[in-house]
Amino acid sequence: MMKQLIAVVKHGLGLHRPGRNLVILPDDVFLVSYPKSGNTWIRFLLANLIFPEQPATFANIHRLIPDPTDSAKRDFDRLPRPRIIKSHDCYDPRYPRVIYVVRDPRDVVLSQYHYHRKLRKLEDDSPLEKFVTRFLAGETCPHGSWGQNIGTWLYTSEGNPRFLLLRYEDLVADTPRELAKIVAFLNLSASQQQIAQAVERSSADQMRKLEKTQTDKSGLTKGSRKDLSFVRSAGSGGWRSELPAPMAARIEAAWGPLMRHLGYEVNSQSEAARSQVPGVRFQEKLAVEFSRDLTPKT
Amino acid sequence: MLGQLKYAVKYVLGLDQAGKHYAVFPDDTFLVSYPKSGNTWVRFLLANLIYPNETVGFANINRLLPAPGVLSKRFLRKLPRPRILKSHETFDVRFRKVIYLVRDPRDVAVSEYHFDLKKHYIEPDVSLEQFVKRFIAGETSSYGSWWEHAASWIAARHGNPNFLLVRYEDLLADAVGETGKIAEFLGIKADRERLQAAVERSSADRMRKLEKQQADQWTGTKNTRKEIPFVRAAKSGGWKETLPRQSADEIEAAWAPLLNCLGYELQSPQLDSTAMPAWVKAGQPL
Repeated sequence: MMKQLIAVVKHGLGLHRPGRNLVILPDDVFLVSYPKSGNTWIRFLLANLIFPEQPATFANIHRLIPDPTDSAKRDFDRLPRPRIIKSHDCYDPRYPRVIYVVRDPRDVVLSQYHYHRKLRKLEDDSPLEKFVTRFLAGETCPHGSWGQNIGTWLYTSEGNPRFLLLRYEDLVADTPRELAKIVAFLNLSASQQQIAQAVERSSADQMRKLEKTQTDKSGLTKGSRKDLSFVRSAGSGGWRSELPAPMAARIEAAWGPLMRHLGYEVNSQSEAARSQVPGVRFQEKLAVEFSRDLTPKT
Repeated sequence: MLGQLKYAVKYVLGLDQAGKHYAVFPDDTFLVSYPKSGNTWVRFLLANLIYPNETVGFANINRLLPAPGVLSKRFLRKLPRPRILKSHETFDVRFRKVIYLVRDPRDVAVSEYHFDLKKHYIEPDVSLEQFVKRFIAGETSSYGSWWEHAASWIAARHGNPNFLLVRYEDLLADAVGETGKIAEFLGIKADRERLQAAVERSSADRMRKLEKQQADQWTGTKNTRKEIPFVRAAKSGGWKETLPRQSADEIEAAWAPLLNCLGYELQSPQLDSTAMPAWVKAGQPL
């Protein structure tokens, strides 16, 4: 009862986190990604571009590019429009415009593994192998599996002009070019100089510096292990040296066609192993059922 | 201010409407569909199957097979578990076990048009042709377009043993057999007799009679135009007579791949499934 009364008071002051009850405005833009796919970096990039008078930090990012589960309702109400809102959700029909950032799942799994160690959700000696199994089943975060998250967005929204798909790898390779795509998508005007400044202010080095001094001011890192950093390698393709081949093969076996569709190189042998993935046989049986219905009725 | 105060009191007592913000339990089962796809009929079928001693009607369906959106959080919390809940949501990762009911969108469009007229959601002078254009764009519903709805669930769960895909058309053609499949999925042991009884008690005729008596006791029909019934044709393929050719063509052109995948025959057969992305055709659970 007391807890609920406190909640009511917080509600009155707009201090509660709106979560799923966030009132979405027709010009809102959602920055969506699966966790550990560069979302925080792009939040910094966009915040630094849109609010140049106020360099983004770990202490203010939840006010500049808010997150419904982590920012107060008041933060949302104070933002100039159009608001840019961070999300890790699977497809949601209420989101009017979406920038989806996808990252190679073989890198995502490593990044998530390190992050969970930092958050003390995993022991140091916890086997990566076991984590990969849970990652494939979508059990390492509350946002579905990597495949479900991107799959629900792609299948529903690919080709829709209100949906912009970006790859983390492309952002790493040529940040100004990809940021310019976002600028065009948002109908903003930004000079090359402004873009360069945003990139500079959001560099991995700069973010590492900020992390060191602000680690307890951000919901992302508060109370986590200080010996492991939130901003890690900030690169792509780390899995080639860090992820043991059999584990990479399991990820490729699970999501090969989808990864290929996104332009990620997939070892064909792994894909051939698909039939051994649990559930695939069942799936193929269903596909046969449908194809029966597909044959022209005479 | 008074409104907010009223809400605050309701909130503290747990009497506020759950909306999208309610606790989902891992042992919940959800009956999910796009609106106007036979969801209410299946709710009746399941309620009659599970509670053979109750007289299932519109007056008590929200209690027997609850729709969380219009119920209070306290009511939902107090339901015996495992719960079976109705939903029109697009893919929600928290829904572990799902019966997904899908219906030919050409029939859905016609049904939604009549329902929206009944509910005063659209002006009486909106034509079916105009409505279909907005239907395709996903503007007639807060749950996205038919395509986005079905695609979000199928992309995420197709092939998962905890996902049962049921076509409304199959249910119409063999209600007893399909209800049997659903019963099995729910772990309900039901012989043919019990299945048949549930089907008979949920027949369109019986539901029409119940609607006449109880229309004002159910959120779905309260304060709506009485001359337009909620239980309408209760059949499949009605679009062939009522939907203008042009509108049917527009739906097919927009959604051919998924129509094909679900076995809904196109009147423009040149729209085949070649537009289906390779990773979907590979047909693999994500």
